[in-house]
Amino acid sequence: MHFNLLLDQSDKVHIIPSQGEIPEGDWEVLYPGIPFYIAQELLREIDNEYSWGSKRKKRNLFRRKKEAMEKSTIKRKILSNLKNHPSLSKFTWQWMSKKSLKETKEEEAEKVKIPTSMEEKEKIKVDFLRRTEGRVLTKGDLQRLGQESNLSYIEILKLCQEQVNEGKGEWLSGLERNRMGWRCQRCGETKVEEWISIYGRAATCPSCASLGSLSSLNTLYRSLNNQNKATNENNGVSRNNTSRNNTISRDDVVIRNKFNEVNTSFAKSKIIFSPRWELTPAQKKAAEEILSFVKSEEPQGQVNSLFEKGFQHKKGFQKEILLWAACGAGKTEVCFPAAAWALNNNQKVLFAAPRQDVVWDIAPRLEGDFPNLSLGVHTGTSPQRFTPSQFVVATTHQILRFYQAFDLIFLDEMDAFPYYGNKALAWGIEKALKDTGKIVYLTATPSPESLQKVKRGKMQLLTLPARHHGHPIPVPQWKKFTGNPDPRQGNAEKVIKNLLPRIEELGKAGPILLFVPQISWVNPWVQLLQEFLPQRSIEGSFSSDPNRREKIENLRKGSFQLFVCTSILERGVTFPRAQVIVLGADHEIFDERSLVQMAGRVGRSRECPTGTALFLAPKTTPAIK
Amino acid sequence: MLQTKDYSGIRAGINAYYFLEVYFLRGGMSVVAKLEPIWQELKALARTFFYTPEKNCLLCEKSSAEGEFCLDCLEEYFYPELPRCVNCGKLIPKEQIKCTDCQVGKGPRGLDKVIALGYYGGAWREFIQNVKYKAQPYQLKKISSFLGNFAISHLPPPHYLIPVPLHQERLAERGFNQAEEIASLLQWECGIPLYSPNPLQRLENTPSQVGLGREERLQNLKGTIGFLPGEAEKLKGAKVWLIDDITTTGATLEHCAYELKKIGVKKVFGLVLAAGLEKRK
Repeated sequence: MHFNLLLDQSDKVHIIPSQGEIPEGDWEVLYPGIPFYIAQELLREIDNEYSWGSKRKKRNLFRRKKEAMEKSTIKRKILSNLKNHPSLSKFTWQWMSKKSLKETKEEEAEKVKIPTSMEEKEKIKVDFLRRTEGRVLTKGDLQRLGQESNLSYIEILKLCQEQVNEGKGEWLSGLERNRMGWRCQRCGETKVEEWISIYGRAATCPSCASLGSLSSLNTLYRSLNNQNKATNENNGVSRNNTSRNNTISRDDVVIRNKFNEVNTSFAKSKIIFSPRWELTPAQKKAAEEILSFVKSEEPQGQVNSLFEKGFQHKKGFQKEILLWAACGAGKTEVCFPAAAWALNNNQKVLFAAPRQDVVWDIAPRLEGDFPNLSLGVHTGTSPQRFTPSQFVVATTHQILRFYQAFDLIFLDEMDAFPYYGNKALAWGIEKALKDTGKIVYLTATPSPESLQKVKRGKMQLLTLPARHHGHPIPVPQWKKFTGNPDPRQGNAEKVIKNLLPRIEELGKAGPILLFVPQISWVNPWVQLLQEFLPQRSIEGSFSSDPNRREKIENLRKGSFQLFVCTSILERGVTFPRAQVIVLGADHEIFDERSLVQMAGRVGRSRECPTGTALFLAPKTTPAIK
Repeated sequence: MLQTKDYSGIRAGINAYYFLEVYFLRGGMSVVAKLEPIWQELKALARTFFYTPEKNCLLCEKSSAEGEFCLDCLEEYFYPELPRCVNCGKLIPKEQIKCTDCQVGKGPRGLDKVIALGYYGGAWREFIQNVKYKAQPYQLKKISSFLGNFAISHLPPPHYLIPVPLHQERLAERGFNQAEEIASLLQWECGIPLYSPNPLQRLENTPSQVGLGREERLQNLKGTIGFLPGEAEKLKGAKVWLIDDITTTGATLEHCAYELKKIGVKKVFGLVLAAGLEKRK
């Protein structure tokens, strides 16, 4: 996606997308198009030179007033800057007036279907606004958005640019460079890979590549919400002073009103919250506390700006709460009343979990309890991307696609693999949250860092020790187990012979989850077990398995008696009557937290509150103890 | 005699204080936090004295002692023991000299020899696609020595390296020409001069050739590659390596070679990162 510099009648320089339409009026455009961050740099150079006079005058304490620039001087200045640029000098630059441009663009313009009636136009725009609300979108995302809403890519660009002109959206370069180095604008990563492009220095962010590659030559479109804009205008700060066009036509007001109407229609039809379960007294107390936390508002008044930095709030007000509950205590259900309250107050809610399986486990439960809710499920493999919804369930990585979108975030299993220790995702959560928003962390095994935060008074703590049926968590047993459980080392048969009586024993109680430490062990183990136990149904899965979702759904229905898996099923999922065996529990990847979580899979349902968890290892490790 | 007092020491002290304030205190971070990255660097440096860094295979991320690629990946994607088709660079069974297509006469004409580094499939294909479409040209420099060794041992030394050109529009979108990146690697690795500016030029932006047959590709490319005027004299009688990332039918290479031969280049050798593989029947 490329951008052009555009010089308008009042001698202001704007940045517009090359493929969009040419605005009305008397313009001149610099050709060819360039990536957004280079256009930004050019603008900055000119601003520096002209607003503060020449370099010599810059040292003066009494700075000169901003000089008005003539059109010709701006043009000359930009061209000479380009000429001195080491890598941009080889292009042929020229200012084109509107007339000469129109001829070349006419052919393209014919291809774009223009909605004739006003109503249709409004409909398209309202749809676009609803789909992009609170989002950060790359070029690929915009293209997909076009496919979903039956618009061409050029039309989408046009809509984006309209928003930018009104100050309700903005363009961002994928990575931005400042004094300290590069920073990814999507995930906040600062350790990036730098390379040389034809425009000079460029960089690619390696850490959020799973959401589609992003380099400094790419551009992001980000929608700004209304509230944000209002505060900005009050403070007299304009976010994008170069491309803000404050004259909003009457049509736009109509559209904006319509959009708000549609948005508030969520609230008008009250969300029905009909739980199919009853909370225990302990759970009820916790649920009430969370509800009161969500309801609490920040005390009004000026925050001392000297000490205010980022998201710091007034004393006595906390933005975060930590719910520390035992495995199977019903953490998720405890959150539902608070979520229902927020939804009915027209707030947007996000439930984020570290793994796909957890998301697919929670989504049906939510659908059951909130019958008339529009639920958005976002995972790496989910087909729907831009359907507007008030309640979003997503894996943690998908959060990076949102910007100031949510009032309330529930973050499940905050100590688990992708989130724990990942600065990018913490940054993403902070960004996805509105300034007035709140976060509820849920965990069974809190990390030392979060506990320290509680100690310092930055976070509230709620504990929920017992499981919802009142039975304690089964204490896992360690059984000495000699022999190398690696299926590729020859003595697998011996290991199986040791294992068989245990499987027989546990199999009477219910289906068995057999955890192994490595992906490469799963399939050999499934084959081996199928050989030795032909009468049982045995299956296995791992994180990169294409059929993973189907298999796990079948497992939930109870069609497998023995299921071999890696740590993917370690947290957040509930299987009735499950029994657990951990093979090679002394492996280094099983730390204390994950072992506790695996044992926590046992006896989660009310019908069968007890069960057995076996850790098989030749020796005990500190983690097992 | 009047003597001015020397205040330079005091001034230096004040300057140092300002430096400290600007860099450590005004940034809002504590001094310790600012020094953290430096400390990490020092630790990494100290580590290098005691341990040799572990090398990982670029394709499968297993640790490998052999170099860039582990033995499994070498065998799976690069087939060091197999010869390449003299005409089109494809990987072919041992006894043959040409692939079956070239034996029939369907191969590219005008090239003196073509070689491919590996087979276009699996992880190697993903690697090349990451470089091209996911803006990761920095990945290429990791294979530079491997590529250099391979090229020197299979091709006669040339006067110049010439990359296959990319159309201006696509170049502007991508930000780099992958063939030029590969060529500059070889220039660095083997010391062969890269011909600059590129004498070949794309005149038209042809659509992607994926899914087209050989005849269609030849038709598609007709007249799309031109020669930069004024460079003909220097290239007369020279031997060049023509460099590209992938070849399937060799149509692009053939067109480039045709343009080069037309102005009197003596020999054109093709070098690509990946090509097809012909299995023994």
